[in-house]
Amino acid sequence: MRVETESRPVLKTTAMGREGSFAEGAWDGTLAFFVLRFWLGLRALLTGIEKYAGVKISEKPFIDPETGMEDPSGALIEVREKFYALTNYAAIPPSMQERFAEEPLLPAFLSVPFYACLGWVLILSGVMLLIGLGTRVSLVIQGLLYGALTVGLILIKEDAGIAWLGVHVALVALALMLAGHNRFAVLKKW
Amino acid sequence: MVETPITRREFVRTTAAAGAGLMLAGAPALAQNSSPNNRINIALIGFGAQGRVLLESLLKIDGVRLVAICDIWEYARTYGERYLKKEGIEVRAYENYEDLLEKEKDLQAAIVATPDFWHAPITNACLRAGLHVYCEKMMSNTIEGARSMVDAMKETGKLLQIGHQRRSNPRYLFALNRLLREAKICGRLTAANAQWNRAAADDLGWPKRAAMEPEQLKKYGYRDMHQFRNWRWFKDLGGGPLSDLGAHQIDIFNWWFGVLPRSVMASGGVDYYSNHEWYDNAMVIYEYPLPTGLVRAFYQVQTTTSAGGGYFEYFMGDEGSLKISENPNITAVYREARAPAWDEWVRRKYLRAKQGFSGETPTDAAKVDVRETAQLAAYEIPVFFNKAIHQPHLENFFKAIRGEAKLNCPADEAFASEYIIYKANEAIAARKAIDLNMEQVVAGL
Repeated sequence: MRVETESRPVLKTTAMGREGSFAEGAWDGTLAFFVLRFWLGLRALLTGIEKYAGVKISEKPFIDPETGMEDPSGALIEVREKFYALTNYAAIPPSMQERFAEEPLLPAFLSVPFYACLGWVLILSGVMLLIGLGTRVSLVIQGLLYGALTVGLILIKEDAGIAWLGVHVALVALALMLAGHNRFAVLKKW
Repeated sequence: MVETPITRREFVRTTAAAGAGLMLAGAPALAQNSSPNNRINIALIGFGAQGRVLLESLLKIDGVRLVAICDIWEYARTYGERYLKKEGIEVRAYENYEDLLEKEKDLQAAIVATPDFWHAPITNACLRAGLHVYCEKMMSNTIEGARSMVDAMKETGKLLQIGHQRRSNPRYLFALNRLLREAKICGRLTAANAQWNRAAADDLGWPKRAAMEPEQLKKYGYRDMHQFRNWRWFKDLGGGPLSDLGAHQIDIFNWWFGVLPRSVMASGGVDYYSNHEWYDNAMVIYEYPLPTGLVRAFYQVQTTTSAGGGYFEYFMGDEGSLKISENPNITAVYREARAPAWDEWVRRKYLRAKQGFSGETPTDAAKVDVRETAQLAAYEIPVFFNKAIHQPHLENFFKAIRGEAKLNCPADEAFASEYIIYKANEAIAARKAIDLNMEQVVAGL
C-alpha cells in the first residue's frame, strides 16, 4: 500500500477542467470526492444488502398501549419484523422481473446471470468504494450496473426509473472525474 | 356519539330480574355442570350444512368431546359418522333427538343446528333434560317459539346461547369497544345500512337413492324432499332471507346502537322464484331513538343479484363511518374532513391508513357536482383473528359452562333482536310501518 505523504492536494489541472477551481481551498476537491465516494458506496452497499431483506409476519395479541394488557376481545395484530437471509435474495421485484422476461431483447441467458450477481456485486463494489479499494474500478462497475439496469427500464418504458438511474450514472461519472482527489483510501491505485 | 349509559343487555337483565327475581340470563354456570375432568361432552343435533360448519369449529376447541350426532336423514348421519371416524372420533348417531336424550346420560351440552321450526322443541327438550344449549339463529320460525325458549332457559337455569356469532367476533368487539365507543370515530351517529346480496341460485337437490320415504318426511314436518332440502324458503319451516341472512346483521344494529328500534317499515316480495313462499328480496328501514337523536337503519337482502358490494354493516356519523363485515376485505373506516385528527388512534394501532389512498381533498375543478363534500380519508382496522368465524362464539359458550365467562348472546337478548326481524316480515306483508313497543316486549320476557 502506498502511503500518501502530500498534506494538501495541489490542483493544477483539475478533473473539472478548470485550472484552480479548488485552488482557494485545496481540501475542497478532496472533501467533495470523499462525500461523493461515501454516498455512492453507501448507496450500493445498502441497495445490495436490501436485496437479502425479508419480512417475518407474526401474530400477537393486541396490546392496549395505555394499560399494557391484552385486549379482551381476543383480537390479534400482525407484527412485521424485517430480517436478512441469503434465502430472501431477490435481485429485482418479481413483478418487474416478469415484465423483463417478456422482453425479447432481454434473453434469459443474459438476465439470469445478471440477477444472480447483482446483489453481491453491489455489496462488493459498495464496500470497495467506502474503504477506498480499487476506487475507480468499483465506480466503473457501478456505472455499468446502473447502465444495465437502465436498459431494462427503457424496454419497459419506466421513464421515471430511467431518470433516477441517470442521476446515479451522472454521479458516478462525476466521481470518476474527481477521482484524482481520492484520499483516505486503502489503495489509491485503480 | 354513541352514548350508552345502559346497554341493552343491562336493560334486559334489569327488567327480567325486577320482574321475578329469576336467574340472570347468561350468568356463568357452575363448574360442576361439566364432567369430572372438566371435559364437556356434547351432542350435535342437525348435521346439515350449518351443522357441518359448526363441527369444523368444534373439532378445534380443547376440552370438548363430541359423543353423539343426530339427524333425521340417514344420508347425513352416515356422512357424519364416516367423516368423524376419519378424524378419529367415534360417535353414536341418532335419527331422533328424543332417543338421543333418553340414551345419552353423560352429556353436558347440545348444539342445535336443525331447520328453524325444530329449534324451539329440541332446545326446550334439551334444556329440560339438564343440558346447556347452543342453538343456531333464528331461535324459531315464530315469535311464540322463540319466547318459549327464553322461558325454558329461565325455568331450567341452564345456558342458552344463540348463534349470532358476530357478537364474539374479536374484530367486531374491537371495532365496537375501541373505535365506536372509546375513540368515537363516527362522532354523532346519523345513519346505518347493512346488506347481504346473493346471486340467484338453483334450489338444493339430493341424491335420488338417498331420498327419505314420504311417511318419514311427514313425521318430521316436511311435505317432500324438495321442501326438506329447501326449508329456508317455506313459511312453516323458516323465516326467509331476512331471517337467514338479515338476522345476523340486524342484530348488529341493535347491539352497536345499544337501543332497540321504535318502528319498522319494509317492502319485499316473492318476485323472482315461482316455487318459494318467502320473499326473495326485501328492503327494511328501522328507526332507532338514540340519546343523540333519531337514526334510521336501512337493511336490504337481495337473493337475485350479488351486486352491491357483498355483505356488510355500515355505521355512519358526522365525523366518520365504519363499514364492517365478517369478510375483513370489505371492512373500511372513513374519516370526514371536519373530524378531529385521528393520529392518536393510528398511534395506538386502532387504525391504519389505507395504502394507496392519497387523502387529498378534491379541488373545486375536480368536482362533478359543486355540492360534493371533501373526499373521505380511508383507514383499515389492523386487528384480526385466526379462527373460523363461529369458533369464538362456541368458545364463549363453553367458557360460560365452565363459569369462566358470560354468554355473549343469551336467548333473552337474542329474542329482542330477532323480534324486530319477525316484525319486518310482518311489515312487508302488511305494506305499512309498524310501531314497536320494545320496552313492553323485553319486559314480557
